[in-house]
Amino acid sequence: MPNANPPLQRQASGTVSPLMPIVRCFVAVLLLIATDAFAQTAVDIRRGLVRISTTSQEPDYKAPWNPGATSGGLGAGFAVDGDRILTNAHVVSNARFISIDRENDPQRYQAIVQFIGHDCDLAVLRVLDRSFFKNTHPLGFGGIPAIESPVSVYGYPIGGERLSVTRGIVSRIDFQTYSHSAVDQHLAVQIDAAINPGNSGGPVMQNGKVVGVAFQGYSGDVAQNVGYMIPTPVIQRFLQDISSGNYDGYVDLSISYTKLLNPAASRALGISDPNEGVLVSSVSAGGSCAGQLQKGDVLLSIDDHPISSDGFVQLDGERVDMPEIVERKFKGDKVRLGILRNKQKETVDIDLKGAWPYLLQANRYDTPPRFVLFAGLVFQPLSKNFMDAYQVDDLRLRYYYTSFVSDEIYKEHPEVIVLSNILPDPINAYLSNLRFQIVDSINDQKVRTLRDVANAFAQKPDFYVIRFIGSSRPAVLDRSAVEEARNRILANYNVHTEQYLEGGITP
Amino acid sequence: MRSVPAFLVSMITALPHWAVRLPSSSSFSSSSSTPIARCLRRALFLGLGWLAFYGPTHLATAAPEPTPQEEPVSAQQKGSVIRVNSTNQSYDFFRPWNKQAPGGRRGLGVLIDGNKVLVTAELVTNSDYVELERPDGGAKMSAAVQVIDYEANLALLTPADPKFLQGMVSLEVDPKARTGDKLSVLQLESNGTPVSTQALVTSVEVGKYALEDSGYLMLRLSCPLQFRENSFTLPITKENKLAAFLMRYDSRSQAVDAISGPVIEHFMKEAQHEPYQGFPRAGMAISPTRDPQLRRYLKLQDSDGGVYVNETERGGPAEKAGIRPGDVLVAIGDKQVDPDGNYVHPFYGKLSITHLTTTEAYSGESLAVTVIRDGERKRLNMELFRQSPEDYVVDPYSTGQQPHYYILGGLVLQELSRPFLREWGTNWVHAAPQRLVYADRFQSELFRDKRKIVFVSQVLATQDTNGYEQLSYPVLTRLNGKEIKNLDDVAEAVKQPVDGFHKLEFDQDPREIYLDAKQVEDDAPQLQKMYALPALSHL
Repeated sequence: MPNANPPLQRQASGTVSPLMPIVRCFVAVLLLIATDAFAQTAVDIRRGLVRISTTSQEPDYKAPWNPGATSGGLGAGFAVDGDRILTNAHVVSNARFISIDRENDPQRYQAIVQFIGHDCDLAVLRVLDRSFFKNTHPLGFGGIPAIESPVSVYGYPIGGERLSVTRGIVSRIDFQTYSHSAVDQHLAVQIDAAINPGNSGGPVMQNGKVVGVAFQGYSGDVAQNVGYMIPTPVIQRFLQDISSGNYDGYVDLSISYTKLLNPAASRALGISDPNEGVLVSSVSAGGSCAGQLQKGDVLLSIDDHPISSDGFVQLDGERVDMPEIVERKFKGDKVRLGILRNKQKETVDIDLKGAWPYLLQANRYDTPPRFVLFAGLVFQPLSKNFMDAYQVDDLRLRYYYTSFVSDEIYKEHPEVIVLSNILPDPINAYLSNLRFQIVDSINDQKVRTLRDVANAFAQKPDFYVIRFIGSSRPAVLDRSAVEEARNRILANYNVHTEQYLEGGITP
Repeated sequence: MRSVPAFLVSMITALPHWAVRLPSSSSFSSSSSTPIARCLRRALFLGLGWLAFYGPTHLATAAPEPTPQEEPVSAQQKGSVIRVNSTNQSYDFFRPWNKQAPGGRRGLGVLIDGNKVLVTAELVTNSDYVELERPDGGAKMSAAVQVIDYEANLALLTPADPKFLQGMVSLEVDPKARTGDKLSVLQLESNGTPVSTQALVTSVEVGKYALEDSGYLMLRLSCPLQFRENSFTLPITKENKLAAFLMRYDSRSQAVDAISGPVIEHFMKEAQHEPYQGFPRAGMAISPTRDPQLRRYLKLQDSDGGVYVNETERGGPAEKAGIRPGDVLVAIGDKQVDPDGNYVHPFYGKLSITHLTTTEAYSGESLAVTVIRDGERKRLNMELFRQSPEDYVVDPYSTGQQPHYYILGGLVLQELSRPFLREWGTNWVHAAPQRLVYADRFQSELFRDKRKIVFVSQVLATQDTNGYEQLSYPVLTRLNGKEIKNLDDVAEAVKQPVDGFHKLEFDQDPREIYLDAKQVEDDAPQLQKMYALPALSHL
């Protein structure tokens, strides 16, 4: 279903502007006349809250051999138990140098990323100087705040240099897309307190406890007073996951299902109670349920929680989306599904693991772009970062990107290798209209991953014949001409690395 | 019904935030527009241009002084141009039981072949009523569209009363206009006086006509036309013979795109046959072979020339002749094919081979074709024919027939056609549902069997479609277990529900939905009444 929400903004500030003294005074005055309880909280916060300045290096997908441009950002974070700082992943992604500071302390401290979860926009930092934590007050966590209850957001948003507080109430508790990866959806709590660039990573407090991490919101011209925080269940899951020493990430059923809102469907499937059950629509090959669930199965219960026909279960007295059950699980955990198959009741136990094909459409961080450069031809795997950089219009490429998961393109093409760029040279003078074609085979060997491309070019046939998907003619390269052109191309285009094959999303 | 993905990306897949607007086509005019849209644009232009010239007193009878480019009209030319008024109504592809509101177009036709009138197909597409109007006196007579060719953009009209055209002069066709020739563009003043403007032929080459895939020999002329009323289509003559027919005019560059004489000649010859066979297509996609590395690999000599065959159309003449992707086409008949896909025409010089296979050759004729395969020459025999739009998996254009549809319980099922996609406007390539645009563009590659693509075009909300309102153009693959290749399959499968239910299977989420067969049948009259549908199906 198309997601009608407009793109959300991340809240790390890119610039710090000089402040007018009058504003500084104003903030100070506000703090002085605050109530006792408020002043108490504010004082504690100042001993737990940090401002994070990150210098990062963003990769250049159009010239993937380049190190990329550096930029700076500002966000917030806070100390948690275990001498750690918690913040958003997007505050510290692609970081090269992280510096933190706090109220009432002139010193700056260097920090490093210890764990980072791009699928939930959270990160834990270690401070190199451990004595930093002698004067910190780690913040404790509360539960999910009630709708309409008041919360306070602490951070370093635009508008000043010192700690800022904004207040609001809890507006909504819902599943939302986390814009950092752009594909993951988790529980998010919407609040109407002002959340602005620079608030990212900062704590949202209620009764002296952290009830969330401020992380994204809508800009004023799209929606007013709509900010989001990551609630404590998501934070706690992250902290528990990393306790093993690795961040394993979310696990996934890797299926899609449809709600059974039409009574005819329920009757046709043999479901006795029309308010029960959802229908499995597709099962991802290689996902957790592969080989155990199939299209047409009805899911009646998950871990003994009955599933209603609109896809909700009762959990801790609340009605939540069925996926919430799996949200709380970890790699290696199991889940038990009560199903109806061909009108017979059955039970299926699933070993949970993460899904990988959907990562094609996720923003990726902390990993250089993968590519192979050969005869001036640049081959790159399709990805969201790729599409964003090239703004490709080609219909076939857009189809492969959009339908990679839904049409199971990953089965044939675990990686979709694209001839993304051509560095002009006599050797490739006639190949320009093959740009953005998808590689099918090289010398009759099917290309399924970038490594296949590198391996094909490492061989020494007389000709390299590159065939593309669809009806284009093949690109033919004479091996002796390729060898002769190689150094000329590298020198001409200032290229120092001809390929990068590490990383990637395929298992 | 909303499909809820468990952490899958299905919801995100439809976010096209990386799609950019296609840069405007470099071809002469916005060739992706529908004839209607272009007609309206031109009508608007003409209306404005005309008003600017004459002012509001359009009833003035005095003709303006001829401008320096305008020249005297011969007696021959005087009597051969006639006004044509057409009232057109196309079907609404979103609501295929409806026609759009009627619109009118006015153009000029030219007398040809005795007592027939030649116009462009765009003028009379989807016409309900066509009327001829004599320039001398204004007498009117209804006319029938005898033949219409959407690809070559030509149509032939015959008046209801054959005596209506007495006294007017029919023109012969001169197919030999070339670059540098000075031709005459004919128009009519509002009082019926013919006026002629000189035009210089700047190029003669294969160019795009009315449809994306159709290209024929086209004349480009430079002409400072000052439009009179009814100037939607204009005859262009060379020494009292019909040499071309104006298709498009860009007033900024003063450039005319015109249907060429050879195309008109081919059309007139074919118009005598029943059924009309039109212009054949070889049905292959080719690419140049200039790359020396490619030529060495294909074992081609420099003297071989030749183009690389990328793909052959399913069921087309090239496929039937045994031409295969990977072949290098080096000759058609005795004409050499150069590495860019051109041959040398005795009169026109270098021309695309498209002219040879679509216009110089006729349906039913065979051409000897020479290809090089694995370094060896092979002679093949290609019998040419034209595939009608219905033969394609996705019809490329409409011939004015009502689109087929089948409404099941409120789900409107249609067969995909390009006119449906074009309902999204000039930017349809990006605005229309992308899966369907993809299926249309690559239909030859994706579907090698003869079939249509049946999909849900909309949901008329009823009790039966409860929960299915959000279906987003899914393609129907099976109904009640039976594979669906066209709407006739749907009508058949509906007769056999499984256990009292219709099971619909789609190519995307939701992959399976159910309808209560009896309820759908009982509710049909109510559905028809509620949405004022003249019929629940049209097959």
